[in-house]
Amino acid sequence: MRPYTDQSGPAASPSSGDAVPAPDRRATAAVERPQAGDRRRAWRSRRYRWDTKYSPYAFVAPFFVFFAAFGVFPLLYTGWSSLHRVSLSAPNDMEWVGLHNYTRLLEDEFFWNALRNTFTIGVLSTVPQLLMALGIAHLLNYRLRASGFFRVAILTPYATSVAAATLVFVLLFGRDYGMINWVLDAVGLGKVDWQSGTLSSQVAVSTIVIWRWTGYNALIYLAAMQAVPNDLYESAALDGATRWQQFLHVTIPSLRPTILFTVVVSTIGATQLFGEPLLFGGAGGQKGGASHQFQTLGLYLYEQGWFNFHLGRASAIAWSMFLILLIVAGVHLLVARRLRKSQ
Amino acid sequence: MRTSTRTRRRAVVVAAVVALGAGLLGGCAEDSDEGTGGGGSGGSKKDAKGRTVIEIGTFGVFGYKQAGLYDEYMKLHPEILIKEDVTERVDTYYPELLTHLAANSGLQDIQAIEVGNINEIATTQADKFEDLSKAPGIDKSNWLDWKWAQGTARDGRTVALGTDIGPMGLCYRKDLFAKAGLPTDREAVGKLWAGDWQKYVDVGKRYKAKGPGGTTFTDSAAGLFAAVNNGYAERFYDGDGKLIYKDSPAVKTAWDLAMQAAEGGLTGKLKQFDKAWDQAYANGTFATVSCPPWMLGYIKEKAGTAGEDKWDVAAAPKPANWGGSFIGVPKAGKNKAEAIKLAAWLTAPEQQAKLFDKQASFPSTPPAYDLDVVSGARNPYFGDAPTGQLFAEAAKGIPTLVLGPKDQQIGTAFGDVGILQVEQQGKSPQEGWKAALKEIDNAVDG
Amino acid sequence: MKPTKPTPQRRPVLRGRAGRHLHGGPLTYAVLILFTAGSLFPLVWTAIAASRNNTRLSQTPPPFWFGGNLFKNLQTAWTDANMGLALLNTAVVAGTIALGTVLFSTLAGFAFAKLRFRFKNLLMLLVVATMMVPPQLSVVPLFMTVAELQWTDQLQAVILPTLVSAFGVFFMRQYLVQALPSELVEAARVDGASSLRIIWHIVFPAARPAMAVLGMLTFVAAWNDFFWPIIALTQDNPTVQVALANLGQGFVPDQSVIMAGALLGTLPLLLAFVLFGRQIVGGIMQGAVKG
Repeated sequence: MRPYTDQSGPAASPSSGDAVPAPDRRATAAVERPQAGDRRRAWRSRRYRWDTKYSPYAFVAPFFVFFAAFGVFPLLYTGWSSLHRVSLSAPNDMEWVGLHNYTRLLEDEFFWNALRNTFTIGVLSTVPQLLMALGIAHLLNYRLRASGFFRVAILTPYATSVAAATLVFVLLFGRDYGMINWVLDAVGLGKVDWQSGTLSSQVAVSTIVIWRWTGYNALIYLAAMQAVPNDLYESAALDGATRWQQFLHVTIPSLRPTILFTVVVSTIGATQLFGEPLLFGGAGGQKGGASHQFQTLGLYLYEQGWFNFHLGRASAIAWSMFLILLIVAGVHLLVARRLRKSQ
Repeated sequence: MRTSTRTRRRAVVVAAVVALGAGLLGGCAEDSDEGTGGGGSGGSKKDAKGRTVIEIGTFGVFGYKQAGLYDEYMKLHPEILIKEDVTERVDTYYPELLTHLAANSGLQDIQAIEVGNINEIATTQADKFEDLSKAPGIDKSNWLDWKWAQGTARDGRTVALGTDIGPMGLCYRKDLFAKAGLPTDREAVGKLWAGDWQKYVDVGKRYKAKGPGGTTFTDSAAGLFAAVNNGYAERFYDGDGKLIYKDSPAVKTAWDLAMQAAEGGLTGKLKQFDKAWDQAYANGTFATVSCPPWMLGYIKEKAGTAGEDKWDVAAAPKPANWGGSFIGVPKAGKNKAEAIKLAAWLTAPEQQAKLFDKQASFPSTPPAYDLDVVSGARNPYFGDAPTGQLFAEAAKGIPTLVLGPKDQQIGTAFGDVGILQVEQQGKSPQEGWKAALKEIDNAVDG
Repeated sequence: MKPTKPTPQRRPVLRGRAGRHLHGGPLTYAVLILFTAGSLFPLVWTAIAASRNNTRLSQTPPPFWFGGNLFKNLQTAWTDANMGLALLNTAVVAGTIALGTVLFSTLAGFAFAKLRFRFKNLLMLLVVATMMVPPQLSVVPLFMTVAELQWTDQLQAVILPTLVSAFGVFFMRQYLVQALPSELVEAARVDGASSLRIIWHIVFPAARPAMAVLGMLTFVAAWNDFFWPIIALTQDNPTVQVALANLGQGFVPDQSVIMAGALLGTLPLLLAFVLFGRQIVGGIMQGAVKG
């Protein structure tokens, strides 16, 4: 019985199999040795049994207690609400409607519009963001002067909040007095009504996301690039591969797991996109523009629940988002498995 | 049915909290003691000096504190301590109020209610508020009839007292009017469009032909829509609470005029309360805007010194109301008797007059109009316009507005969706109309 | 793929690897400088806008250099947006959340990585699944709970619901599976060490780098958290983001004051980046290899 380790194998040979790094001397020295005395020993062994048996639960308990109260309970409660007609003006009056809120969503063009926008803004923000991050990481991987400065500088947007970043970009993207339009006008391209157009507003919202996250992702890629063994490049170079070919055939394949990780994280972020479009929309931002041209699912949920007071419907939207993410995660798992097999 | 659901929910919540463990909560006790306002244990609340604490929850800038009314009341009643809890935005404040009402907790002794929400409160939450109609010191005849009616539930219980109203004038730029060859004197300007909003739009067409380039006649078609609409008794609902927005004369007329303005290029294609709108004030790029008293302060702040001596205010084509609020006393409050006394005092004509003097919130109590601070009021920023008389005149003609629970959502659907699609996105009026109706269907459908 | 502890010793090994021995050309510098400028410009412009006034911000061309109103605007934002209280609150909130998350995530992550107990895999699956729950999902019942407990407008309303994070547990588990040799734990066990001792003397030292990264990530995220605080708190007792949101949407006198508020809210984190930029970058990169 080896209660204290998760790895199977004979208990008698701790050093068999994998090479084990030397134990941290400080740590072992600090562990007290048992003292003599039979009664004490009996007490100790009982305590030891109790300790090994129950302490794992004690360790996960704080997490799960909070998790149950503030994670699972609201999740289930929302699921329950989504099967009712319930208004924010009387959250206690629940009228059972079964799956009505969900079937209604299927025919709700605002929902599909929001889903479509979430997807297109997701693509518009994620793809350029990750491609740029990859390129920047590649450049940062060279031997550089002031590399420390570059790394810190590209990370600073990560420190700004959604609110602060969006406030700035709203001004920069202003139709009549914004700097971007002033530049466009000056070079003869003409002003763009960023908020009114479908593509233009989505590009503007995506820009905020890209600005905040590209540097962070670049650092993650950089870390992964530095872990690529050098001999891979050397042998590629020997085969006559150019730098670009090396990037394509050595760097990218080695980064696959990291890229997948960032894709998943960005996808989750994109699905939950909320603050940027809300504040970009200014007064009445929950609508995401006159034609809802940049209303994401998060905004639609907010509009239905907190502006139209349809709590049941908002809950159904929330659960639909959850299901969509589960599907995305499932696809991710499949892809990851396929990739692992192909390697 | 209702009770049973609530009991069950409460049980679930209590279970969740118990699951948190006393120790964990104990760890946060420090924080909860620091928390301001809200909370508190049952029973009448006193401060360290034994004064009764009355908490009043408001949104935006109500101005009671700024006008010194709390200080004055506390001087009159040394045994009272007033605390104000301000939420900046009404669209955060109101959902919170609804949730608190549903939970019967977290409520202040006095709660403010915006005119856009008063109907929903009076129809769905009346049983949660004290009936103020027969409370001592409150005289129904002080208020404008329609204002009093809006705060009164169907069974005759008055759940909230009117504070201010928003009788509308029209603010205009004298300099731009002069350049467009239009009169600049406020009497003459008022006569240009007296009695008919169509005349106002016609003046707009004249302005468009002759006015200075880079400027427009008005800011937004949605603003015009709201202004016209607000002059009718029945807009979105009829007297029986039936939805009539699809073919009520108010909506039809307002929509038609808004479309004329949008398609005729009379507007700056702006959205009110957006950043670009504020910037347009600073640049003086539009010549007129419909103007309840509280808007004067807004213009002064946004247009700043650049707009000094340029703005003036004239009578609107028709009397209409834009904005205004109420205060009510929730039954779950701790000091109901004291709270009612304070609410009565704050809404009495004398105090409403003081509030107009200091904060430009216009009284909903006609006796206040005869007081000097109101009748003699002039606004130096707006060419010394006699604002007191002007708005009092407008207030008297305001029709008894019929409100409904979804007024706010319907108004937004027309203004922020239907009209904006035509004005900013170049869609046809038919498309805009259809989009607005679809939006409303989605909002009113349970 | 043998786990080693990510200690500074690893760095020299990394340095010799990959394309790092190649020097960057002028084009590399040009692109990097351009990108860096793009990253910094909105921040710089925030400061420029904050140093002007409403009228100037409404004119074209927009200002490209600092004006003289910075101090005045910062002062106005400070008082109008309740910024002093907001900063203090945010520091308390983000600090508590970061501490709680790191502590609970390390404990749970250790249990998931190295201990054996009933329903372990099922519980882990539950944790991973909830990483995908949109935060909006919980808002309505959370708000009702908070209202029921009369926590509206009080800091625990934003602290307690975010005190643990599924991501944190996942992150620490992934890290400890590799970084903490099971044999070390076992040896201590055989020596009769109690669980608490093992946590304190073995797990915490081994997990320290990851704890630092997680703490930083959580702190920044909590500092900038937006959706829930805006609903749970009001202007009376705000966090920075709540204060900013109200500055951005309410009846406010001056656009440049809004920008000054945005600047105030971001400044503490920017300052941390300037002072500890190297460590933060190093931390994120270490976390990235593991994550």
